[in-house]
Amino acid sequence: MNIHVAGVGITKFGELWEKSVFDLALEASKKAIEDSNIDAKKIDAVFVANMLSSKLDGQDQLGSVVATLLGLTVPSVRIEGACASGGLAIHQGVQAILSGLYETVLVVGAEKMTDASLCEITTALMGAGSQEERMAGLTFPALYALMARSHMEQFGTTREQMAQVAVKNHFHASLNDNAHFPFAVSLEKVLGSPDVCYPFTLFDASPISDGAAAVILTKKSIKKGILITGSAVATDTIGLAQRASLTGLSATKIASQKALQQSGVSLSDIDVLEVHDCFTIAEIMAMEDLGFCAKGEGGQFVASGQTKLGNSMPVNTSGGLKACGHPVAATGVKQIVEIVHQLRGDMGARQVKGAKVGLTHNVGGTGATVVVHILER
Amino acid sequence: MSSPVQNWRQTKNIASLIGKIGTILSWTKVFVAPAGFENDVPYFAGIVQFTKNTRTTMQFVDFEKEPVVGQKVITVVRRIGRPKPQEVIQYGIKVKPV
Repeated sequence: MNIHVAGVGITKFGELWEKSVFDLALEASKKAIEDSNIDAKKIDAVFVANMLSSKLDGQDQLGSVVATLLGLTVPSVRIEGACASGGLAIHQGVQAILSGLYETVLVVGAEKMTDASLCEITTALMGAGSQEERMAGLTFPALYALMARSHMEQFGTTREQMAQVAVKNHFHASLNDNAHFPFAVSLEKVLGSPDVCYPFTLFDASPISDGAAAVILTKKSIKKGILITGSAVATDTIGLAQRASLTGLSATKIASQKALQQSGVSLSDIDVLEVHDCFTIAEIMAMEDLGFCAKGEGGQFVASGQTKLGNSMPVNTSGGLKACGHPVAATGVKQIVEIVHQLRGDMGARQVKGAKVGLTHNVGGTGATVVVHILER
Repeated sequence: MSSPVQNWRQTKNIASLIGKIGTILSWTKVFVAPAGFENDVPYFAGIVQFTKNTRTTMQFVDFEKEPVVGQKVITVVRRIGRPKPQEVIQYGIKVKPV
């Protein structure tokens, strides 16, 4: 597959009092259209990734809302797959072009989370879990904590190794003006932050953020364009307990193998990647499940510093979900925006030198949906 | 939390699930709860293995000390969260130490 990313746009991520989900979607979309140099009238369809506007804003039919804001009357649909909504919407956009029906599409992921109280948002996000998990009073931090405890028990992964993920991603975010938390933190600060649920402290968790990101995809050849050469999705049980393993996401393995196969690149070709670090343990498991290290060695792998900017395998140069922020349905699109900039070579302070091949890894819930994309220049 | 009919559908098999012995596979302590569970915090919850292929996520009750991975537990009926005054009380299965 050769789908061109013609344009990208992103808003500031954070607690954005003055902006609604509609403002954010419009802002990111306009930036992507402007960046693409393609007339908005050439857009054949719009894919809007969003998880929470039904619950938090009482707004459905977001497809129509966003198309109207852009002055369009083309087909426009909302895509929902919890925190993987953004990646899924990119996948749908790719599919739509491959079908031959559309030449150019806009994919925008937008989420407004900070209007809700902590209890409201915790409850709303649990829609991405199972009925059994809701009846057990579990939350997403708690579900990932269950995985972290199993990982620690089975492989000896330590609190310090997990905390290193947060330290590294905060350092990357300190180079990103759009990040929710554009500042570095120390290992002591992460380990000493308040308990959320053992083994996590506050700094092991990604924040509740507002934000949006958008891309223009087209089958027309673009000068100096970046290509999506692999786009794969895999699913698993909605509940964590029903999986064969608590220490890894099998959907990550399936989706990444499919995406690599489609693109014809191998893991060793990848220069830069954005992975789904909703909690620090998630980045450790992602490195294992994607195949960058053996199962159980993820803790040592991330603590070795290899995944920091300037070293051999930079991971989450945006700051990741942890420090760039996690407006849930915007995240999967943001990952594509970050990799496109890296491959264009216009990333400034956080540029990975000579990056040619990138990978994005976007997870819904505790791994019930995983989307992997391969991008090349 | 749920309508009477949802409640009935979810709990009609409760009797067959009482008194089962399982082993704690993983657990955590929840400090920030979803709606309905605010009055329970902090509470323990986790995954319990009952048979080779049966694992269930549940809330832990009657623990005087912290749970331990590998600890034996038994299923009991308990109220799930706290309903609002106009809602029906929902019951479900939790585990307590053996």
